[in-house]
Amino acid sequence: MSNVGPYRPFELGGADLREAVKRYTSNPLYLDNEEWENDDNPYRRQLRPQVVEHLDFDRVLGRDEILDYENLAAQRILTTIYETDLVFFPKSGLSDPAKWADFTNFYSSSNRVLGEMVRPALERHVFGFLDTEVEVSGKWTKDSLEAFLRTLEDRPQEPSKPESAIRNSSDPERAARMWLIQFAPDFLSEASPMIRNALGYYGEAQSEWFKVIIDEYGYGVHDTKHSKLFERTLESVGLRTDVHHYWQYYLSSSLMMNNYFHYLGKNHELFFRYLGALYYTETTLVDFCRRADELLRHVFPGTVDTQYFTEHVHIDQHHGRMALEKIILPVVEACGEAVIPEIVRGFEEFQVIAEIADEDFARQIAWMDGGPRNKELHAPVWEAIQSGRVSAPVAHIVEPHGELSNTHCHNGDELCHIVSGTMRFVSGFNSFQILEAGEGTVINRNRLHGAIIESDECVYEIHSVGDYEKCLS
Amino acid sequence: MLVLSFAVSGAGNCVTVEDMPYVYARSRLGSFVLPARCPHRGGPLHLATVEPDRARLVCPWHERASSVRRALSSGVPVVRNGNRATAVFPHDAGTPHHLTHRPLSADLAGKTLEDRS
Repeated sequence: MSNVGPYRPFELGGADLREAVKRYTSNPLYLDNEEWENDDNPYRRQLRPQVVEHLDFDRVLGRDEILDYENLAAQRILTTIYETDLVFFPKSGLSDPAKWADFTNFYSSSNRVLGEMVRPALERHVFGFLDTEVEVSGKWTKDSLEAFLRTLEDRPQEPSKPESAIRNSSDPERAARMWLIQFAPDFLSEASPMIRNALGYYGEAQSEWFKVIIDEYGYGVHDTKHSKLFERTLESVGLRTDVHHYWQYYLSSSLMMNNYFHYLGKNHELFFRYLGALYYTETTLVDFCRRADELLRHVFPGTVDTQYFTEHVHIDQHHGRMALEKIILPVVEACGEAVIPEIVRGFEEFQVIAEIADEDFARQIAWMDGGPRNKELHAPVWEAIQSGRVSAPVAHIVEPHGELSNTHCHNGDELCHIVSGTMRFVSGFNSFQILEAGEGTVINRNRLHGAIIESDECVYEIHSVGDYEKCLS
Repeated sequence: MLVLSFAVSGAGNCVTVEDMPYVYARSRLGSFVLPARCPHRGGPLHLATVEPDRARLVCPWHERASSVRRALSSGVPVVRNGNRATAVFPHDAGTPHHLTHRPLSADLAGKTLEDRS
């Protein structure tokens, strides 16, 4: 055999990675939008390519950085990459030449290959912290795994932070709509990550896996497909159902929850982690959906369609059991106990991510509810800056009427100060403050926001104060 | 089997089952459930050191050494999630147990994998 030289695994880092991410995101499909919402075009996603070259994706984000802008940017990009494996059509069809062009661009080899090149680095960037959050050791057996997993059945289920945030919000309807919007990336293409593991040839568990998918897809009857049930929930509270209509209102952790399953499903070496995560989510969804049904009917009495959630209360009792008895334990039997640590790891990793998402959403609702208070805080923080007690880097910005700052977040607190003109400052779905000359707002670290200029021109300043509370003393 | 969760560090980091205390040890070689009493004469293994050039845990009383690698691969099955460890003990599910606190030696109070890299 001739000498072919050593095998060199694919790696992309440093300047090459930065350039590759910029190249991928500069696709016209991913440029900033002039509107807050996408209009029946599932291929358009705002990735803010003008910013990515300033981000370092070539490192693992720590647990304490996981809500920083880098994660939001990377999760938006990963969602876009993963979803080129999924089929989406605009509800209005493809007869519009512009939408046809977007369709062919989105699914083009060029777009997909450019995405695949950066995907491993981005996955490491945003999911690498799980390597330090979760550790598995000791001698696991099939019996100890089953005992471990079954404790979930007895774990007391309490209302999550998002549920409490909605109930206690100053505007529960707005908060509940924001909540439903967070589910859209997952529920409108529900079970698509799962289907990644339905292909191939791996024995009886494969057929059991397929049964779960059949349930999710409503047994081929479209009106019972879970995504269709969720569409009816959205419509019943006045929300749109076209894919990624509310792209700019997704929190990074909401995308992260969905991307985690794509990450496990796309990389089949992580197949066994998917099993653990699947068992956790299917088992806990029963109580979650029961509470979600109650909560939504409490917030939208007499109007909301909650069949999506009541259906899951029933079917996920079966799915949790099937995941354990028909998939996980037979897979361990077939593949050996060496796979167990990975199953345990997936079970725990998904809990880490769910905890992050719960906290993130609750904080976002507090941020939206706190809009008037944040506007009031402008005065003392601005005074601290003007008096010289606080010195912070400042950006001076001039923007014309209609300029829309697509949603993003910052890695520290900032102060927005309006010099002249009028800005609509948006802190979430249907959540905004009007800022006039001399006014402004505190912008909390990690909180999703955007802005649009409502006057002919607006001159404003962004002061990167780091921690606004230090300006108050 | 008995599935128990306990703290990795701080209050409640030691779970005692049938008179045997266990802690979650984080060494430079990896993390594992450690019976905190030496099988030789009952020395405080939670205060043991790890030999600098070998994968062995050394009891502070009589310097009896045991294999860290064996604890990692053959010890009580456990998963750590942040500061919480969940272990599966071979005892019956209803076996009484209680939580206390035991200090850990520097070699076992360990740094995370991230810190070590």
